[in-house]
Amino acid sequence: MPENNDRPKHIEDALCQMHSNQWFTWTDSKNKIYANLRLSAKVGIDGEIVDNPITELPTESAVNAKLVELQNAWDAANGG
Amino acid sequence: MALSKIDVANMLTGVAPLANGGTGATSFTAGITEADQWRVTSTFTGDANPVASNWERNDFNFDKIGTGMSESSGIFTFPSTGIWEIKYGGVSQIGGNAQNRWNDWKIEATTNNSSYNLIGATGNSGALSNTANSQYSSAQSSVIFDVTNVSTHKVRFTIDVNDGSTSQMGASTYQYHGATFIRLGDT
Repeated sequence: MPENNDRPKHIEDALCQMHSNQWFTWTDSKNKIYANLRLSAKVGIDGEIVDNPITELPTESAVNAKLVELQNAWDAANGG
Repeated sequence: MALSKIDVANMLTGVAPLANGGTGATSFTAGITEADQWRVTSTFTGDANPVASNWERNDFNFDKIGTGMSESSGIFTFPSTGIWEIKYGGVSQIGGNAQNRWNDWKIEATTNNSSYNLIGATGNSGALSNTANSQYSSAQSSVIFDVTNVSTHKVRFTIDVNDGSTSQMGASTYQYHGATFIRLGDT
């Protein structure tokens, strides 16, 4: 989660850019590491609580690659 | 007559407090009997209609008063009938160069445990960000809801965004996006 500046620094920053809505959850929300990442069972869409349309977790390497992509984009946009 | 000899019970219609020689049994009505606070632990992007997952009760130096709310897939059930105040809000992150004109933060209620109606709303926006950096803005809505039946009267929360790249910030160690429930009195 961005803190002092909004440069992406955590895998949650990448996850929430991979799909919209609350598609992921954590087995331990105080320890947001890939090993604790799970798919949400349900999401809210158009006023209904339905099965999560996302049915497969991204791989850890895909998540890390997305985070690097976001960081590179941020750096490029901020003179990095 | 000295003031100490006056029987205060003769000046009251209720039961006098112990300090005044009464029984103290029902001298004062109870204060707040229910208060609870919940939050969304993870950031997400786009709409959530309703916000259905990643809810947790505040767990840092916090204790609810009374029984507390119960939550299932984003549907909150009240522990007792009464007049309740519900506050809902949080912080949005609008990405750099995004053209987000609005986010709607909504409190919705049902009185038949089925169909939900909007009872409170607020909004925020990214003010048409044209910089590379993200913008943050907050929103909070408050509403008073008469809960006459805990089986039928429930609430949930909804986020609608104009720009699908907008994120609603979540955290599990502090109150960032969440709801507060306080029972104000009897229905």
